[in-house]
Amino acid sequence: MNDIYEYQGYAYFFFTVFLTLILYGYIIHLYRSEKKGIRDYEKYGKMALDDEITDKPIEEKSEQKKSVDDTDEKPKEQ
Amino acid sequence: MFHWLEERPFFFAVGVFVVIAFAGLIEILPNFAQASRPIEGLKPYSVLEIAGKEVYKKDNCIACHSQLIRPFKSETDRYGMYSLSGEYAYDRPFLWGSKRTGPDLHRVGNYRTTDWHENHMWEPTSVVPNSIMPAYKHMFSNIADIETAYAEALTVKNVFNVPYDQDINGDGNVDVALGSWEDARAQALKEAEAIAADMKNQDVKDAVARGEIPEIVAIIAYMNRLK
Amino acid sequence: MQNNAALEYDYTIAKMFVFSTILFGIVGMVIGTLIAAQLAFPELNYLLGEYGTFSRLRPLHTNGVIFGFTLSGIWATWYYVGQRVLKVSMAESPFLMAIGKLHFWLYMLVMVLAVVTLLMGITASKEYAQLEWPLDLLVVVVWVLWGLSIFGLIGIRREKTLYISMWYYIATFLGIAMLYLFNNMAIPTQLVTGYGSWLHSVSMYAGTNDALVQWWYGHNAVAFGFTVPIIAMIYYFLPKESGQAVYSYKLSLLSFWGLMFVYLWAGGHHLIYSTVPDWMQSMGSVFSVVLILPSWGSAINMLLTMKGEWNQLTENPLIKFMVLASTFYMLSTLEGPIQSIKSVNAIAHFTDWIPGHVHDGVLGWVVFMIMAAIFHMAPRLFNKELYSKSLVEKQFWLQTTGIVLYFSSMWIAGITQGMMWRAVDEYGNLAYSFIDTVTVLHPYYTIRAVGGLLYLIGFFMFAYNIYKTFASGKEVDGSTLQNKTPMSA
Repeated sequence: MNDIYEYQGYAYFFFTVFLTLILYGYIIHLYRSEKKGIRDYEKYGKMALDDEITDKPIEEKSEQKKSVDDTDEKPKEQ
Repeated sequence: MFHWLEERPFFFAVGVFVVIAFAGLIEILPNFAQASRPIEGLKPYSVLEIAGKEVYKKDNCIACHSQLIRPFKSETDRYGMYSLSGEYAYDRPFLWGSKRTGPDLHRVGNYRTTDWHENHMWEPTSVVPNSIMPAYKHMFSNIADIETAYAEALTVKNVFNVPYDQDINGDGNVDVALGSWEDARAQALKEAEAIAADMKNQDVKDAVARGEIPEIVAIIAYMNRLK
Repeated sequence: MQNNAALEYDYTIAKMFVFSTILFGIVGMVIGTLIAAQLAFPELNYLLGEYGTFSRLRPLHTNGVIFGFTLSGIWATWYYVGQRVLKVSMAESPFLMAIGKLHFWLYMLVMVLAVVTLLMGITASKEYAQLEWPLDLLVVVVWVLWGLSIFGLIGIRREKTLYISMWYYIATFLGIAMLYLFNNMAIPTQLVTGYGSWLHSVSMYAGTNDALVQWWYGHNAVAFGFTVPIIAMIYYFLPKESGQAVYSYKLSLLSFWGLMFVYLWAGGHHLIYSTVPDWMQSMGSVFSVVLILPSWGSAINMLLTMKGEWNQLTENPLIKFMVLASTFYMLSTLEGPIQSIKSVNAIAHFTDWIPGHVHDGVLGWVVFMIMAAIFHMAPRLFNKELYSKSLVEKQFWLQTTGIVLYFSSMWIAGITQGMMWRAVDEYGNLAYSFIDTVTVLHPYYTIRAVGGLLYLIGFFMFAYNIYKTFASGKEVDGSTLQNKTPMSA
């Protein structure tokens, strides 16, 4: 019975460390891509403000995808 | 890599799901096998007791009463021996509750009697002055659903191998008999008659004599079982 | 999609859910106030015979406000915000429109059946998961319909990137789906044996396991019902109403993952006594703390969004509601961890401090945010000015007073009772019988009931204000709807 607690403990430990690394990797990713000029994440904040249907999207969903009549790349219900 | 995920709602959703599901897996699953083992000699609930537990659920007693004695001196002094995981092995659902507006009931059968419960359910302040518990007079006239209780016992016997019709303590006799629906009904009625004999409410006695079991009798059977 | 000049957002379904939000809010809070009063004045238990006792009504209150009011609020805002941040109209897809309508009507059916069965005492008796199995199945269908609506709308979106609110709505959908399914696993007894009531079922888990699953559900349903979707709302409505973009969008993304990582790990302390090496256990705790840091981001991000614009707090009552909501969010997320410290929990568990904690979260954070969202949406749904600004102001102060009365009385009641249960006299015997610890609470129960009543009156003012906006508000010009919600004095 103790075995299973041990595995549980190890799994808990390693998964927590893993998640922490990923999360802090994400922080670095966010700031680095802004600094390098790859992507400015702050512009997405505008999505809540300029949200009329006539407003221009921050990033257009690409045209040829659009014309395949809405079914592309869309996840089905799980 | 991160941005790839942000642009794909489906994989994004999968990512979220993995993160939230994994914690649950690690936390809950490994304890499952161990936590479900009954303590030695634990007897399953009789059909009448299950019917009583259903009354307990129906009137939602867990809104105010817990069935979990914590291992503190103040609690063991007040309610008796602290609760063990294996004592709950046949509780489906568990009825620990989360709020003690009234006292804990896990071992109420040790210190309260049929007679006390009868008075208390009819008019709580008659035995506990200043009690804020409402009276449950309707339990004296509503008839308990013994057939559904039998269905529950049969289900847990067949599906989860709960030891009905078995010798549990090794004395050579069946400890809790279930048998057919007719057997079970007769057995429940017999237990109900024993309880009704200790009660004074004439309507309840009459009902039991007619072969009907009022809810109050079932819930008292359940309360007396909680030890 | 052709560039249709007349294309507009279609709020048909948002309006339906606004209606049900208000309806279930009234039902849930009226019952809540009644049962609060029953604890102070037990005679009130006998108003409806068998069906009016505290115990029978409490699940009606909890289910009414959680699955009635809050879920309706979540969906009202989803059918509004979803279209706007994806820049796509429901009118563009008759299929999604039909799904939405079905979603609403099936949900209403479930709620009506829930009220009837709970009143009759047909219950699985697991807290916040009382509904019996046929209703559980219907709930699953309702949930799948919502999923179709989310992912369907995402499929036809114009905006490529999903706004942060969308992340939170998706997480709500997934989280509740997982929790609800596992916790409600049960075996219908009539189908197995052929005897008894067909409504009855027996839980798939027994005793301690059932408790584990139930509180994994109970705690995290709070996370995914009361925290995650409400954050989705505030990330949209606060920036929109104030005209200020989120202070740091990057921080909002980090907080999202931080919250997802941390929330379900709250039970990590179960493992403290396991056989893994000590240093690893300590490191596990340390890393858990490190994970928490990003999860505090949301509330701070909200307050910083108002940086340099604090004058709006005095000018715009909706900003007041939302800022106070963020503040209560911070308060109750601080209070929760404090209560989970072992020695504090020993006193607080089973006492009124727990309902006190729940209510400063829900009254201050959840309900305030949902009402602010509806105040913001109403003029846009009906093209009318909000009926009365002064009524909003009065409601705000009345309800804030109600919350303060509620949680302060419950703090005192909980700690008093917790201490009395364990108090001993000079010989080491228990100093109080149980009933002593009940009668002492009478004044606090009374104050709590008064606090609840004030809050309820405030909610009626809210409902009246929305009704009048719809029925007799002044028409507005669409161009004034950009940010600050237009209100008549």
